[in-house]
Amino acid sequence: MRPWLATAARLLLGGVLVVAGALKLPDPAEAARAVRAYQLLPEGLVGPVAFGLPVVEIAVGLALLAGVFVRAAALATAVLLVTFLVGIVSAWARGLQIDCGCFGGGGQVDAADTAYPWEVARDTAMLLVALALARWPHSRLALATRLEPAHG
Amino acid sequence: MADPKNPSRGQGKKEAARQRIAEKRAAEAAARAAEQRRRRAVVGAAVAAVVVVVAVVVAIAVQTSRSAVASDAARPDGTSAGGNGYTFTVGQADAPVTVDLYEDFQCPNCRDFEDRAGSTLEQLASAGTVKIVYHGMAFLDSSQNDDYSTRALNAAAVVASSAGPEAYEKFHDLLYANQPDERTGSGLTDQQLISYAEQAGATGEDVATDITNLVYGEWVKGAEDQASKDGVNGTPTVFVDGTELADLTADGVTAAVQAAQRG
Repeated sequence: MRPWLATAARLLLGGVLVVAGALKLPDPAEAARAVRAYQLLPEGLVGPVAFGLPVVEIAVGLALLAGVFVRAAALATAVLLVTFLVGIVSAWARGLQIDCGCFGGGGQVDAADTAYPWEVARDTAMLLVALALARWPHSRLALATRLEPAHG
Repeated sequence: MADPKNPSRGQGKKEAARQRIAEKRAAEAAARAAEQRRRRAVVGAAVAAVVVVVAVVVAIAVQTSRSAVASDAARPDGTSAGGNGYTFTVGQADAPVTVDLYEDFQCPNCRDFEDRAGSTLEQLASAGTVKIVYHGMAFLDSSQNDDYSTRALNAAAVVASSAGPEAYEKFHDLLYANQPDERTGSGLTDQQLISYAEQAGATGEDVATDITNLVYGEWVKGAEDQASKDGVNGTPTVFVDGTELADLTADGVTAAVQAAQRG
């Protein structure tokens, strides 16, 4: 039973990460504005983070979907989610009115069109799934177990 | 039975020794296999890490150049003196109070603000109390409105470029008075923008073609980035002498301007 739950966790987290990363690629200027809107990074780091982060998300997501380096990818997912949560909560606490930009878009929102509680709840839930997967990474339909049949 | 030198016992010893050797060999083989697996995993992880790092570096380079505003982009005339090239100023240069307005022509809250406080602000400007600095933004483009935010800001820049900032203000007022609906609307057509430009005082073949051809399209992207760098993430955003205005009503504007005047 547990390996199948781990498979479900892999597909959920991997799918979300790949989609989230891919949606940030088509409009890099928008991605940069989304990062800048958090007002946490110096201008020199805005571009590298805005443009590098989606690639990391996609890479980690693909690893989870394929089932390779599952524990490392689950831990990386947890680290990413903690970073996102810190950003979102700090924006909320500072009274910034921004969209998290989690799935592209981001930055400007009309008036009080923010969704902080939902964004925090979603990322927290995913963080718990990622931590559980890091604890029990053994799953079905994973490429790594096919390459390494002797490996438990 | 009492014989201690039982031959079968000696045979048992040999058997046990053979078994021990076999076990030891098996354990060694298993250890070698594990070591090989471990080494393969380390190599695999290293290769994966290198691939990811290279992909990140390439992505940063490609996206940086894609998001940069072309250096040869056309820029409108008539922007604020000493400004960053993305603003238009109306009012006397020595007015004691500066009001910075960040607006998107498609934003309904901006239209509400203009309805409530626009004329008050313009009166304060003509009385010489404030100068208004217009910062255009364009983030409400959609396929439905045919990228109206961008087309409208481009048209406003064309108007300012050909007829000056006062014409920009007139055009700006006309666009808010005739704002298409954000959700169901399809934006004003280029033809409508051209006719409002004419009403604002910008006429001629060049005005029409510059509006239709989106001649300041790149500049609009730059304006959007500039607003983001100014820390503005929503519209309307109003600063009175640098302080963000919370009460976006005519009374709110008047009170904030008076407070700024008192220093």
